[in-house]
Amino acid sequence: MRPTLLIVDDHAGFRSLARRLLTSGGFEVVGEAADGHAAVTATRRLRPDVVLVDVQLPDIDGFEVASRLRENSVGPAVVLTSSRERTDYGERVSRSGAHGFIPKVELSGAAIRALLGSGRMG
Amino acid sequence: MSPRLRLALALVALAAGLVNLALALRVGDAGPRPLAYLLVAIVGVSWSFVAAGLLAWSRRPENRTGALMVAVGLAFALPGLRLIGTPLSTTLDLLLVTLPAAVLAHLIAVFPDGRATTRLQRVFLVANYATTVPLALVQLLLVDPGLLGCAECPDDLLGTGGPHPYGEAVVALSNLWQVVLAGLLLWIVVTRWRQAALPRRRSLAPVAQVAVVLLVLFIVRQTLRSAMSSLPPWIDVGLDLAVLTTLMLWPLGFLVGLARTRLDRSAVGDLAIELDQAWSPGRLEQALARVLHDPTVQLVYWLPDRQAFVDAAGRPVELPPEGGDRAVTVLRHDGDTAAALVHDAALGDEPELVQAVAATARLAIENQRLQAEVRAQLEEVRASRARIVAFGDAERRRVERNLHDGAQQRLVNLSLTLGIARSQPAAASDGELTAALDEAADELRLALAELRELARGIHPVILSEAGLGPALAALAERSPIPATVVAAPPDRLPARVEETAYYVASEALANAAKHAQATAVTISARRCDRGLVVEIGDDGAGGADANGSGLRGLADRVAAIDGRLEVRSPAGEGTWITAELPCGS
Repeated sequence: MRPTLLIVDDHAGFRSLARRLLTSGGFEVVGEAADGHAAVTATRRLRPDVVLVDVQLPDIDGFEVASRLRENSVGPAVVLTSSRERTDYGERVSRSGAHGFIPKVELSGAAIRALLGSGRMG
Repeated sequence: MSPRLRLALALVALAAGLVNLALALRVGDAGPRPLAYLLVAIVGVSWSFVAAGLLAWSRRPENRTGALMVAVGLAFALPGLRLIGTPLSTTLDLLLVTLPAAVLAHLIAVFPDGRATTRLQRVFLVANYATTVPLALVQLLLVDPGLLGCAECPDDLLGTGGPHPYGEAVVALSNLWQVVLAGLLLWIVVTRWRQAALPRRRSLAPVAQVAVVLLVLFIVRQTLRSAMSSLPPWIDVGLDLAVLTTLMLWPLGFLVGLARTRLDRSAVGDLAIELDQAWSPGRLEQALARVLHDPTVQLVYWLPDRQAFVDAAGRPVELPPEGGDRAVTVLRHDGDTAAALVHDAALGDEPELVQAVAATARLAIENQRLQAEVRAQLEEVRASRARIVAFGDAERRRVERNLHDGAQQRLVNLSLTLGIARSQPAAASDGELTAALDEAADELRLALAELRELARGIHPVILSEAGLGPALAALAERSPIPATVVAAPPDRLPARVEETAYYVASEALANAAKHAQATAVTISARRCDRGLVVEIGDDGAGGADANGSGLRGLADRVAAIDGRLEVRSPAGEGTWITAELPCGS
């Protein structure tokens, strides 16, 4: 059974491309959200296995979304993404409770699977 | 007041005094004994008030104090009437017996303004004068002259002399009323003293002290007289003598106050000598405060360009409104406004002193004004430099944001599109197509990396989002030579401080990599009392030129937020760049 996934990004163009890319990469994209609050609501409703969250969102940032979704270390796996690099965010990635970070330019189904398979990326 | 009038008044007072003395001598032991003895003191009071009053009147014609003092002096020539020994003189004497005290009370109540300025003063003056003659008339009609110290006087014109059933009660009530008036006057004097500012207290002190002693003595005397029907003569006369002696001190106290003002003006000479030395901005103000006896004096300078007053540091100053307890004396130079003294309104009592001080300090003030002007311009330049840097920083953040939201997003989308194309079955089966797509993806990755590096150079987003510590850690992580962050503040600092600190660290790291042949760099950012100390040290060749364009630019950037940059770079011993950045507003 294909793992389910929710895409959170404020750019509709990116969401549509990511949906096609990850669908062909072996995920079932069950929903999309354009901001942090919508992401939290959609996650509770859709219960996806993985939530792909852009760091920069119009309301709360991706780190905040990750910590809300991963409260008490339960909830879906959260993967942060950005067109910037991981070093641009320092330790905020690991402190947020997210499983890891994948730059948008390296995004693929395989990259997400590799990240989740290897456990948390420091 | 014309000198002729002054002379006439002096002669009248002199003549009245001499007549009084002659009367006292003529009556000798035969007349009312205590009065004959006391008359010498009374003449002394009269003359001293007239003399001091004429001096005050000529010095300040617009202030009624001098005229009031002369009036007190002349009123004190009246008690001699009693010794003339005719029915008319006795009648006049008994009717006007309280007038000298009433005029004196008027003077004390309105000193030093010469006129009533408060409601309480006005109420007092009305009560004081409204009861003077009427009360005397009641006494004249209802009291045995013996009770008024006039046992041996001839009958008055009204022929009312003789024992009267209410006589003692009337005298006691009259004395009590005078105690009430004296108490009210004491309250006025004490209140005015408490409310007076330092400069006014200096001139008020001798007079106020004498007035308090006088009023207390008067209250004691009148209370004893109204409480006891007959006082032992030595107490009665002794108290009279004490009151009169104190009264003679009043004009003396006034002269001491005047002398103090004169002394203050002579202190202006000392100021002139002091002014010969070099002055720091605050010291001139201190010297003026000392000479004017007003610690609150503030010297402000007029800047014609700005049409505004500034303080010694060049900061704009708002002048106090008119009519409050602060007053402004504008100092002019060749008719143009040069500066202003903001001082206690009480110094308005001594305009000559303020003007004398201003004239003496004119050159020093003009000098300070020019300095204040330069400081104001410098302050303006510093503020403008800080604004330029802040604007530059904001602009860089905007450009970085635009790159991120625009070109970067489009390239990312393009990269995802390539990924989708590569995952299509048609592409997977076509080796050439796959290779072309891979090549395009690699090129795209490089372009994105370069764009990211460019954006980061323009403004590191981690700095504004996560603060200096994480930003320095990220900087060290990307450094081509091994770099360690040994200390970083855990909390956030003002944006301009964080940006300058990061800029210093980033430039120093780049220099170490490019020019110093260093193998290791340490970065530290520590809080200190004033703000933040950032230090970047390397183990390279040293010998960096602190005046080279790179380090010069760094120093300018640090100076823009009032910081200080130090470069130590002995040849062969590495380079240490230290920036002290203030965090205050």
